[in-house]
Amino acid sequence: MFYWSLKTLFAEPVRLMVSALAVAVSFILVIFFSAVFEGESEQMIVYLEEMEADVWVMQKGVSNMHMASSMVWDWKADRIAQMPEVKEVAAILYFNGAVKIGGKDWFSYVIGVSPEQPRTGPWAIAQGKAIPGPGEAIIPDVISRLTGVGIGDEITLVDRPLRVVGLSRDTFSMASSIVFVAREDLGDMLDAEEQFSYIMVYAEPGVSAQALAERIKQEIDKINALTSETFIDSDRQLAVQMGAEIVRMMTMIGTLLATLIVAFTAYSLIARKKQELAIARALGFGNGQIYLAALSQSVVVTLLGLLFALLISFTLLAWLPTVVPQVNLAVRLHQFTSIAVVTLPVAILASLSAARTVARLDPMTVFHQ
Amino acid sequence: MKPEYILQANSLNKCFGRGDALVRAVENVSLEIKRGEMVLIMGPSGSGKTTLLSMLGALLSPTSGQIAIDGTDISAMKAAALAALRAQKLGFVFQAFNLLEALTVEENILFPARLTTAGIQGARGRLDELLQRLGLIARRNALPNTLSGGEKQRVAIARALINQPPIILADEPTGNLDSHKGQEVMMILHDIARDDGCSVLMVTHDPRVEEIADRVLWLEDGALRDRKSEQHSWVIDPVCGMRVDEWTASVTTEYNDKKFVFCSSRCLSRFTAQPAHYIDETMHRVPG
Repeated sequence: MFYWSLKTLFAEPVRLMVSALAVAVSFILVIFFSAVFEGESEQMIVYLEEMEADVWVMQKGVSNMHMASSMVWDWKADRIAQMPEVKEVAAILYFNGAVKIGGKDWFSYVIGVSPEQPRTGPWAIAQGKAIPGPGEAIIPDVISRLTGVGIGDEITLVDRPLRVVGLSRDTFSMASSIVFVAREDLGDMLDAEEQFSYIMVYAEPGVSAQALAERIKQEIDKINALTSETFIDSDRQLAVQMGAEIVRMMTMIGTLLATLIVAFTAYSLIARKKQELAIARALGFGNGQIYLAALSQSVVVTLLGLLFALLISFTLLAWLPTVVPQVNLAVRLHQFTSIAVVTLPVAILASLSAARTVARLDPMTVFHQ
Repeated sequence: MKPEYILQANSLNKCFGRGDALVRAVENVSLEIKRGEMVLIMGPSGSGKTTLLSMLGALLSPTSGQIAIDGTDISAMKAAALAALRAQKLGFVFQAFNLLEALTVEENILFPARLTTAGIQGARGRLDELLQRLGLIARRNALPNTLSGGEKQRVAIARALINQPPIILADEPTGNLDSHKGQEVMMILHDIARDDGCSVLMVTHDPRVEEIADRVLWLEDGALRDRKSEQHSWVIDPVCGMRVDEWTASVTTEYNDKKFVFCSSRCLSRFTAQPAHYIDETMHRVPG
């Protein structure tokens, strides 16, 4: 029966391809949505990763950068810098809010950079200056492309006009882009001239980040010190928590859609071949063998759908960023493995629709013309 | 020692529906078929022939009564055991050929061989023999939709014979064939019974088969009785000119208030397309 089911399936290649492509579309939806989510999540922590600090110091009770507010007195940065285990410190002021660029509000991480600490600024510049001075800003090159706002144009941070002096790379995200301004401007705006939001600590060689974080917490009052790894994980978890439900729902919808498509394909194949299945039963094939034939058809359609989905996804994911630069896509192995894992349950679930038809097959059908 | 009768039915009854809607399709039928015997079941349309054949073929459970195939009572058998029995003991030939469209001639014939312990490889020799015997060597890789009606039925017969069952059950095997091809199929089935010792139980309306059959059973209103040979009413099929028994024929039509009888539905469709072309008053009825 397995041979029959495969031959029957491949005897109608157009129908098979259409079914497999329909399954592929639903899988692609899941892969694409997951890739967008992964891409955006990665982009949310890109600044933390690029700074390559060993320890991040922030206000007590704060353990994130995303959707968080932190204020630490600047003398605390000096105290940390004097610790023997510390090689270097860098500090930023940070504001999480909308920046008006080209008439549109862009939700952004606004980083206040001191000119003497260039490492806290953009790590890749597409055009213009790397460090903003007073009254200046560096915006993501993607926003520049999307809005037409370029070097020399004006943007607004809350009520403060700033002139664009540079375009940075890899700093755009649909959820929160990174805009660099002078610490002086941001301090003035937030009334925090003597404060920082986050202090990045770089340890002397051989010093453990965990031990340093503990030591800083012991030495300095009313602060929180986290290793870079913990701090990044904490922000990543926040991003995942924010999007996990949506991703889970989209995955479920995509999987359900794939199941329905495979079920419809399996059912229609079985329904159209009812006469042949009745012949098989008359000739001596049992219900189990006939059901396995239906199941094998579902598995083949689902696997073909998965294969198409992977091929199309790889092509699309490589090509899309060049056409739609505002979309951050990240492809991880687990996105494909999770789809592959659901393939068999999808096929089995889908073939249940055919099982009922198989169970009700009337072998007397063979006598009908 | 093998039992004398390959197929025995005792007091078979089959009812459909219940209450006022109860229909007795087969009523108290008993029959015995010997090895190598060719037996026809004839009767008017709706007389229960196919229902009886389905029960004898272990495809339909009787409401009451017993069936024994090759000495084994199948009445209490479960579905899986019945399926295995069909694969080993029975071969089916249908009016509609019922070939599997995606499979080639060779694959169609070998299809039931998967159910035997020897499997497909074990049936290869038998396949070649059947292809040779039924004149299908040149068509072994053809798909069913490229075959003529006669070829399709020969493939169906080969499929029925591949597992060397002791019984062939044939339901109107010539119903979709013209008279020449029908005759050819009948002779093949006759040879199978004579040469292979395979019993052939056939439901048919084709009176020509009577001449080569060992016995004719007449089923009417669900009850079976032996058919008396003098109960014929011979007429001529206006399309092919074959002699047809008006009493048993099921392929009939009326045209200009006259009844016309045909040997097959193929002749009927030709007649329906051009009735005036085939009407010949003098040829319509001849003495029996």
